[in-house]
Amino acid sequence: MPMKDGILNAGGKARWRVGVDSGGTFTDVCMFDELAGRMSVWKVSSTPDDPSRGIARGVEEGMRECANPTGDPASAIDYLGHGTTVATNALITHRGSKVGLLTTGGFRDLLEIGRQKRPDLYDIFADKPQTLVPRDLRFEVAERLLHDGTVETALDTDAVREAARAMGDNGVEAVAICFLYSFVNPAHEQQARAILEEELPDVFLCTSHEIAPEFREFERLSTTTVNAYLGPIMKRYIRRLTPRFENLGLTVPPHLTQSNGGVVRFDAAAETPVRAVLSGPSTGVVAAQVIGAAAGEADIITFDMGGTSSDVALMAGGQMTRTNEASVHGYPIKAPMLDIHTVGAGGGSIARIDSGGLLKVGPESAGADPGPVCYGRGGDAATVTDANVVLQVLNPTHLLGGRMEIRRDLALQAIDRMAEQLGMDAMETAQGIISVVTANMAKAIRVISVQRGHDPRRYALMAFGGAGPLHAVRLAQELGMPRVIIPPAPGTLCAMGLLMTDLRAEFPVTRLLPLEHDTLDGIAAAADQVTAQAEGWFDSEAIAPDRRQTLRRVDMRYEGQNYELSIALPDGPVTQATLDILRARFTEAHTRLYGFAVEDERIFCVTFRAEAIGLVQKADLPKRALGPSNAAPAIIGSRQTWYPETGSFTETALYLRDRLLPGMCFDGPAIVEQMDTTTLVPPGVAARVDETGNLVLELS
Amino acid sequence: MTGPTETSMAALDPITVEVIGAALSSIVEETGEALVRASYSTNIKERRDCSTALFDCEGRTLCQAEHIPVHLGSFLDFIPTVLAHHDVAGIRAGDVFVGNDAYLGGGTHLPDIVLAEPIFVEGELVAWTVNLAHHSDFVDRAHAHIYQEGLRIPPIRLYRAGALQKDVQDLILLNCQVPRERLSDLRAQMAANRVGVRRFQELCGRYGVGTVQASGRALMDYAERKMRAGLAALPDGEWRFEDVFDNLDFDDPIPFAVTVRIDGDAITLDFEAPDQVRAGINMTRTALLATVYYIIKSVVDPTVLPNAGLARPITVNARVGSILNCQHPAAVNGRVQTCQRVADLILGALAQAAPDRVSASTNSTCTVALFSGTRQSGPDAGTYWVYLETIGGGGGARPNADGLDGVHVHATNTSNLPVEALEVEYPLVLERYELVDGSAGEGKFRGGMGLRRVYRATEDCMVRVDISRNLSRSWGLLGGGPGGHGGFETAPQAGAFDRGQGMLKAGEWLEVITPGGGGYGLPDEDRLAAE
Repeated sequence: MPMKDGILNAGGKARWRVGVDSGGTFTDVCMFDELAGRMSVWKVSSTPDDPSRGIARGVEEGMRECANPTGDPASAIDYLGHGTTVATNALITHRGSKVGLLTTGGFRDLLEIGRQKRPDLYDIFADKPQTLVPRDLRFEVAERLLHDGTVETALDTDAVREAARAMGDNGVEAVAICFLYSFVNPAHEQQARAILEEELPDVFLCTSHEIAPEFREFERLSTTTVNAYLGPIMKRYIRRLTPRFENLGLTVPPHLTQSNGGVVRFDAAAETPVRAVLSGPSTGVVAAQVIGAAAGEADIITFDMGGTSSDVALMAGGQMTRTNEASVHGYPIKAPMLDIHTVGAGGGSIARIDSGGLLKVGPESAGADPGPVCYGRGGDAATVTDANVVLQVLNPTHLLGGRMEIRRDLALQAIDRMAEQLGMDAMETAQGIISVVTANMAKAIRVISVQRGHDPRRYALMAFGGAGPLHAVRLAQELGMPRVIIPPAPGTLCAMGLLMTDLRAEFPVTRLLPLEHDTLDGIAAAADQVTAQAEGWFDSEAIAPDRRQTLRRVDMRYEGQNYELSIALPDGPVTQATLDILRARFTEAHTRLYGFAVEDERIFCVTFRAEAIGLVQKADLPKRALGPSNAAPAIIGSRQTWYPETGSFTETALYLRDRLLPGMCFDGPAIVEQMDTTTLVPPGVAARVDETGNLVLELS
Repeated sequence: MTGPTETSMAALDPITVEVIGAALSSIVEETGEALVRASYSTNIKERRDCSTALFDCEGRTLCQAEHIPVHLGSFLDFIPTVLAHHDVAGIRAGDVFVGNDAYLGGGTHLPDIVLAEPIFVEGELVAWTVNLAHHSDFVDRAHAHIYQEGLRIPPIRLYRAGALQKDVQDLILLNCQVPRERLSDLRAQMAANRVGVRRFQELCGRYGVGTVQASGRALMDYAERKMRAGLAALPDGEWRFEDVFDNLDFDDPIPFAVTVRIDGDAITLDFEAPDQVRAGINMTRTALLATVYYIIKSVVDPTVLPNAGLARPITVNARVGSILNCQHPAAVNGRVQTCQRVADLILGALAQAAPDRVSASTNSTCTVALFSGTRQSGPDAGTYWVYLETIGGGGGARPNADGLDGVHVHATNTSNLPVEALEVEYPLVLERYELVDGSAGEGKFRGGMGLRRVYRATEDCMVRVDISRNLSRSWGLLGGGPGGHGGFETAPQAGAFDRGQGMLKAGEWLEVITPGGGGYGLPDEDRLAAE
């Protein structure tokens, strides 16, 4: 019997990198053997009542099976990254903590008033998102700063103490502290925090200048409140999970993914859960970045399509697009996030004809139960999946590698009913459902591309998730995109992404300074400050000097505007030449986005940001030499599939993904089946397998 | 005019129409975002008091962004007026028309300046991109007639084939109180139209002009069908409702009434109102139409596309020369107050037909606080400043839920200005910003609460407060109680205000209170006890 990997490791040299992605249904454990350069995946059922059980079991079983059959299963792990939806689920289901709020006198209702806009322009019945702190737990204290940070009214410390006791009597689990202008001068928030620490020693506390030290009080307040709302939940989660890892023999500090696609240590993550609300989809985007880099694609739009929704994101020049503010489930959040946009369009999205006679698809979804009509579980509303089954783009008899029976006859009946109402034939109607859902997804991609000044025709589309590869070419055609990339394992990309993320932290400071020679010192000081913060963080994370990378940016705008453009700040000391570069870059960016620049207008620097990146040793994607181009050995059969290009059922070759080897080429129409997804290659599209096993589809 | 070619008609199926409809709405949203982000004045960059739309070459709305409903009024007649008053054959790519007038160009009040640019594809005029920004200017004026309210600009060229007509721009800017801000915001409006032109041309490039234009017409037919289907689902009949309009300009409330008649899939609204008045509350016909279209869409089917088709089943009658359909030279600056009351008036009539589809009366106004003065310190000392804000109030209680607290209702939907932006830009300090206890109409479901804002001037300034429901109260439905009054108060030492106008000296404060919304249904015993 060949020596097991675990025995090689008997000397105690740890060399496994492990990613654990905990979803609603499955927990995926992705294990990378650093010496052998090999990756394995272990899947277990999730345990929603206490996810830490499923996670621990997944790691234990996975490591025993693949790495370390004797001894502590986790002792050979030298890095563990974890992605979770615990924060976002608590926010969606409103199962956060009981929060108290402390505000400047006169402003406790701001949390409810927001920006005073109604939630929907026309719908009388639309409601605002639920306020996370009820009115009787929002306390005002006398204190006031002016806009330059000077104190107009000193903090009433007695009132703070009184509020703290009232909150304690009410049993709050967390308190958010948000005063006006704390981003300029944090003194009052710091004083209040110190008093609350004395009065409420066991309560989770956070202040707005720590969580989101930026201008616009409502958005800062909302972010701080969401953080308090999620804080105790995240702390509990981490407190449960940590000992389970320790019991498995884990000797390194585990890391948690953040909305920005980076990871931080568990202890840091517990203080800022608001930065983890997009922890789920972010790692898929990170994996896409690495796969894109290996494939030589720098400009990519990612497209992650599941059963009920699709997530899209944009990557230009190999860099993921980030944003510092977004509305997440209705709550404005200022935190570094990947610019991921979600649309309610998935395989289960329901098609219907509305009162005006037009075909609509989604956002309602048939979910997993009863699911699409073709599942035969009693669903009667035609879905996107049903349309694909009727067109025979999807296997009309079974899915999931034969484990699930499909009823095309039922799906066809449902589509026939719609076709009759529309006065079209069934196949045109089924294709129509695909066209409409494609248009919805195209709209989402326009939001992250054209609306941000990027032309999608210059980007490749990378598709993953269960339904992404099925719709990718149609979506690319709609947007004029030239190329589609399907990674080798579209279904487990998020767990894989966990092995590819760097450690990441961001340090912003707001300093309103005109871009002029006179303010050179001030600009240099602000840049130095965030750089020093980044260095301090590298030290505290014990990141080796050759693994440190700092990216600095400045948010800039013309005097009088209120929306900034994020401009890269050159490395090194800030000099007059740096200012000239900033000016040129800003002018170029403004012209690209708005079509004009103003010669004589003053330009202001607003927020300086340093992004500190601790580069980790990443799982390399194994490359294989390109072999023969003949793909015939991968053909496992054929079926009749309907295409709008031919307007009829057309004989289509079926390929098995596992048999497609680097170098193989074939032309559409073709369909590629694999366990977790199906890829459609329509007529006129050429497919090839690249060195890393990606399926690359070239649109003519 | 280009008709659809045979091939494009062949390609026109419900799916193509839907896809092009989605594209049109993403174009107007994108142009709106460009306008906000590139703009300079607080009223646009933070408060988003602006709108964008696309029109076909006959001047009918193809799509309006979800910004401010009353702005549709300014759009309605703009392109038809351009087409009527200019040589259409002489319109070139890169021409940009500017205008604001209420009587020549369809504007609803003078601060709303419209910029429209024709879209050409292969040398042919195929559509228009249009945007409107509410410029915070033309303030501290009287409102006996429109000539007191600001510069009237008919639709004229600001750009000719891409070249700025500087003499036109100079004339406009000389008549503005804050010209630097006006110039910057006009640039942002230009930027927005550039985006609209580019995107629409791309759309035509992808589908062909004929298909896009035919889809535009099909989308109007579609909106009409949906509106008719929604109306047909309501009971036939005739319902009348009366309310009053009150504000600080008038000692006695002014009576308004509407009779709404639903007959099959069509609806007719007959308004009754006194003669137009020497005050800013008069509404042009386009403002009335925009208000009616907004509220009918909200009640009948909020998902009907906001294009010209939705208006086809709706007939609106109001006597020419009355407050609700004024003629030259009536002043119109404060027309939004009247729009709000009219929207609730229609709700009151429809409540009798479909009580489960409407809310009780909202706060029924758009409370305005307008500050202006000459900067006394800092680098800009000596320059004029203007700060306009509109304040939300209570929403009406609904058949299944309380009214929304502290929101903009009906024809307006602007954001507030962050305190941390307000105090940097203007010599004002905001002392309080809160919901008003006791302002909500009681009921099984209570009305929304009004807002209180307390300002302190740090330099001397002129103030105008435009409040309503100071005498009347917003009505409840089916036993629900009325909402609280609107009002304002000043520091005891401040000078007297005359009909909402006055002066604040440095250090003096002003408190503005907005009305609450009406309640819905008789209050439960439990609820009364709890409150």
